Amino acid sequence: MSGIDVIYLDNAATSFPKPPEVAEAILEFLTHKAGNPGRSGHSLAVAADAVVAETRRSLASLLGVRDPSRLVFTLNGTAALNLAMYGLLRPGDRVVTTSMEHNSVARPLFALAERGVDVIWLPCAQDGSLDLEDLDRALRAAPTRLVAMTHASNVCGTILPIGAAAELAHRHGALLLVDAAQTAGVLPIDVTEQSIDLLAFPGHKGLLGPTGTGALYVAPGVHLTPMQQGGTGTHSELLSQPDELPFALEAGTVNTVGIAGLSAALRVLKATGIEAVRAREASLVERLLEGLQEIRGVTVHGPLDSAQRVAVVSVILHGWEPVDVGAALDSAFGIAVRPGLHCAPLAHRTLGTFPLGTVRLAPGYSTTDDEIDQALVALRELSLSAG
Amino acid sequence: MTTQDPRADDRYSRQTRFVGVGHEGQRRIGAGRVLVVGCGGLGTVLVNLLVRSGVGHITVVDRDIVEMSNLQRQLLFEEADARAGVPKAVAAAAAAARINSSVEVRPVVADVTPDNVEELVASADLVLDATDNLQTRYLLNDACVKLGIPWIYGGAVGSTGMSLTVIPGDTACLRCLSPTPPASGTTATCATVGVLASAVAIVSSIQWTEAIKLLVGDRDHLNRTMLYLDVWSNDFQQGEPLTPSPDCPCCGQRRFDFLESTATSSTTTLCGRNAVQVSPGRARTLDLGDLARRLDGVGVVSTTPFMLRLEAGGHELTVFADGRAIIKGTDDMALARSLYSRYVGD
Ligand SMILES: Cc1ncc(COP(=O)(O)O)c(C=O)c1O
Ligand SMILES: [Zn+2]
Repeated sequence: MSGIDVIYLDNAATSFPKPPEVAEAILEFLTHKAGNPGRSGHSLAVAADAVVAETRRSLASLLGVRDPSRLVFTLNGTAALNLAMYGLLRPGDRVVTTSMEHNSVARPLFALAERGVDVIWLPCAQDGSLDLEDLDRALRAAPTRLVAMTHASNVCGTILPIGAAAELAHRHGALLLVDAAQTAGVLPIDVTEQSIDLLAFPGHKGLLGPTGTGALYVAPGVHLTPMQQGGTGTHSELLSQPDELPFALEAGTVNTVGIAGLSAALRVLKATGIEAVRAREASLVERLLEGLQEIRGVTVHGPLDSAQRVAVVSVILHGWEPVDVGAALDSAFGIAVRPGLHCAPLAHRTLGTFPLGTVRLAPGYSTTDDEIDQALVALRELSLSAG
Repeated sequence: MTTQDPRADDRYSRQTRFVGVGHEGQRRIGAGRVLVVGCGGLGTVLVNLLVRSGVGHITVVDRDIVEMSNLQRQLLFEEADARAGVPKAVAAAAAAARINSSVEVRPVVADVTPDNVEELVASADLVLDATDNLQTRYLLNDACVKLGIPWIYGGAVGSTGMSLTVIPGDTACLRCLSPTPPASGTTATCATVGVLASAVAIVSSIQWTEAIKLLVGDRDHLNRTMLYLDVWSNDFQQGEPLTPSPDCPCCGQRRFDFLESTATSSTTTLCGRNAVQVSPGRARTLDLGDLARRLDGVGVVSTTPFMLRLEAGGHELTVFADGRAIIKGTDDMALARSLYSRYVGD
């Protein structure tokens, strides 16, 4: 089955379809601009550099970043998160995090704990929400270097209160790292207003760009130790990595092709408006949640109020294993969802859905009402048959 | 090596006395390097004969472990192997060492995939196909044609058997005969229709004979046709001599689609459930009712409008109409692929 006739409800993994402008921009870049940015003065190098610089500025304006050079391009969300945590944390540092984290936060922290970083896991409620009093208590208990948390759960969509968390963290002298994998491009984010110190996000989900893109925002005054050293095109006379951002953290040629695609995606996103994306996704989620509640044998995880969640809905179909639901939806109905643990075993333990996981339905901006209805029809049919 | 042993002459005397082999032939056999892919019915007979005839260096590859249902025809294995769950390749190498300590048998417990097939094939003088599925045969065909190494196809199911000797550049290859594997899930497997030990023994004996002709260097007497036999209905046929087709995508145009994995099945482990999903490498529609009938008696089978579930041999397979299957209770991709080809068919 080709991408055209699939009902794609796996936007939490990566958004699809991408706006056609993304492919066009990539073709245009590869055809006319594909020099190495910042490495020479010839026209192709300059053209490539312009694309990278323009994309950095475009991201900055979208996310309330005042100084675009504080946005570092990475290969994906995971690389941005690793750069933030490994770049910042030293043995003896204390980190407070939540039980809703994706493995891209949890695994680096487990590895850092082996190296002497003290990691405190705050248990979230069964709907994925975080009690700020728990955070406050944890921060009072001992001096803390970093609070690391997801902006919204990639399992059940629950939005965590990052603004309030930033305030608490700063009050106790800690920095805040936000994993915005599920929110960049779908929830308004302003790192300056919300005083976020580190914001990590992929370019290939809500931002509608191609895979191979992502970025880390590093607030002024926050210093990260580079994880790799190498060519930057600037200060070639130095044998040490230059200190200035983004070059300090951007050794080697960046993914210019992907960044060109991301640039086009950001233009489309801005023309649409984040508020419009948010409203559209909320309406899809409401339609979905309403329909799901009418199907006997379906349990929905996460908040039922669309204001408290993003468009990531996890369900269990009684009598069915999630993996079989996923395969049946794809095989018999051409509906693409993601069953299982969603790279977030801790979150599933929190929801009580470990180890089998759930079936995750994640519509996106271009999902239609009719597609939601078809998914509901399919789930209803499955619910009438034995797993 | 084997001829330096003073007792070797005696050991192989009935073979060296045969006019087609002789002492020089036996020396070449002793220096021979043979890869046996698969160690089930065909593979065990092959290893047995290769070892007894003094083939010096044998590599045997198989991903499965010995099970009770193998013992009816898989001549190297014993009840103790099945009880202990020994990998077939390992059990075969151990049995081979007891039969003839002067030859080397190297066991490889692995699935043959596009990633390891060239490495395995490259060091062999010839390759013996003793697999249970067409996917692997197309993969072997690609690797052998690419590297110019002869391979001998063999297959047995029910009371029937087939064999074909492929000399790249000289005889037709598998893709000359059928550029793509026949639509599958429709083909019978030993698990669904059974197999007679005699069909297995005859086919593998023919393969062994072809291998010996190649090792001693007698190409004139090679079988250049597709052999077909049915031991139950007394039918033995030999087709027309086959020559390479210039249009063949593999040996004619040197496109190695199976090596490049464009057409092979893929496996993914499914997190959340100790399970592996096997997806066919191409669009396919399975008739689940038909599959249920074929699997009748193989294990506990249940069907719903959306899937078929089979519980057999301690494993649970859930099969969907688009040909994918979820194999539960394992995260071993090779085992999953093996169960898939055994019960669903490639
Ligand atoms: C919450 C969360 N964090 C991190 C990631 C990792 O992002 P990426 O796949 O771009 O590395 C994902 C997506 O898989 C996610 O959903
Ligand atoms: Zn051919």
